[in-house]
Amino acid sequence: MVEVAGLRVVLPPAVVALDSVDLSVRPGEFVVILGPSGSGKTTLLRALNRLVEPTAGTIRIGGRAVTGASPTELRLVRRQVGMIFQQFNLVRRLSALDNVLTGRLGYVAPLASVAGRFPERDRILARDCLAQVGLAQLATRRADKLSGGEQQRVAIARALAQSPGVILADEPTASLDPALTGSIMDALRRINVERGLTLVVSQHQLATALAYATRIVGLRQGRVVFDGPPSAVTPPVVDTIYGGAVSR
Amino acid sequence: MRRAVTFVTLAALAWAAWDTGADPVRLARGLPWLLDFLRRMVPPDPSVLPAALAGALTTVEIALLGTAAAAVLALPLGFLSARNVAAPPVFYPARAALNFFRSVDTLVYALVFVAAVGLGPFPGVLAVVGYTTTSLAKLYSEAIEGIERGPVDAITATGATRLQILRFGVLPQVLPLFVSYVLYRLETNIRAATVLGFVGAGGIGFYLQTYLRMIDYRAASTVLLVTVVMVMVVDAVSSRLRDRLV
Repeated sequence: MVEVAGLRVVLPPAVVALDSVDLSVRPGEFVVILGPSGSGKTTLLRALNRLVEPTAGTIRIGGRAVTGASPTELRLVRRQVGMIFQQFNLVRRLSALDNVLTGRLGYVAPLASVAGRFPERDRILARDCLAQVGLAQLATRRADKLSGGEQQRVAIARALAQSPGVILADEPTASLDPALTGSIMDALRRINVERGLTLVVSQHQLATALAYATRIVGLRQGRVVFDGPPSAVTPPVVDTIYGGAVSR
Repeated sequence: MRRAVTFVTLAALAWAAWDTGADPVRLARGLPWLLDFLRRMVPPDPSVLPAALAGALTTVEIALLGTAAAAVLALPLGFLSARNVAAPPVFYPARAALNFFRSVDTLVYALVFVAAVGLGPFPGVLAVVGYTTTSLAKLYSEAIEGIERGPVDAITATGATRLQILRFGVLPQVLPLFVSYVLYRLETNIRAATVLGFVGAGGIGFYLQTYLRMIDYRAASTVLLVTVVMVMVVDAVSSRLRDRLV
């Protein structure tokens, strides 16, 4: 589903954020990228849909080339890849439903959408997605009037509205009250199990990662230092990922 | 360093005072004339009130029409001169053009447009459009440069086109600011438009200048009072609207 080979990302001015990353994610996997802050988790996720431009290496998603894609091809890839951000990144002044509708931008007629017109079936789909995250009753509320947990669920609905094959989530619970971590991760697991969507989620909390992942990828200083099932994450593995600086 | 700056500043001010002939004694000697001028302005002459009101209406129209046209014309310019939206080959010339045209005041534009299209309110409207378009474009572009990156990333990640990204990621963030800037420009344009009549570009300034030239100070004071009230009313309405935007 996601094929990464020899990925290298150098961020300006000259920071090697990722180096020689190889990763092959099969359909239906729930992959959690684990690593200390600064290990390259965010850069890896953002490189997958080229919000960050890879310096070298190749990326393919759903059989389509991401690296080397033309602007039009890139949009076709992106619309099949939902993305969830640590800071939710909703458009504050738009309603919850309108935020979810933006998930359809890759599918609808560009000029009509710019005029604010969306086809009825896209509106219905957006409402469905909002209902699936349990927020149907808040459809008309402005995004900045929602709580953090609600905003992140709207963001999940926006990703679902893309009818994606893959969802990327960058530290989706890091900005939330720890009590909400479970509800957001549960929502992601439900998407993974019920829809069979492939998930690539970054997490800095080890316990959460182990509880939800079907596969753990450990990053350290921009390189993959572990790749295996949660059951194989032993204390020595944790030391490898976190450099012994952090213990459980 | 600080001492040098202080010295240079004081020296520049002293030189400017000498060069402009700034002289408190001269001001003191002129005070009786000023008082005489004020004395001859009262009571205001109510018979010119209809003319003053007609002039005020024209001034408001000039400011309204000019600001509205400029608000729209400044949109593409604003986006083209925003560092985070436009490519460098577009951004740098656009910025330079804005700074060039913005350094010319509305009244100077009025002189040019009166020469081009003749006397009346229309060159006044054009003058307001000329200055306001570039000054608004500059404000717009700064608002665009100050947006949050997050929503833009999120919209980009949906596979949206550049235009869709601007419409859904950028515009909702900047629109309240844009409206606020337009209202602010409307307030300053009302003030700027009061003197457009001095150079033949229509509005209440024409009456003020005419009565002053005719040495009819009581009529002139009526016009001045109407001007003050007009500016205050527009300021009050506009600032109340702006407060509700934030």
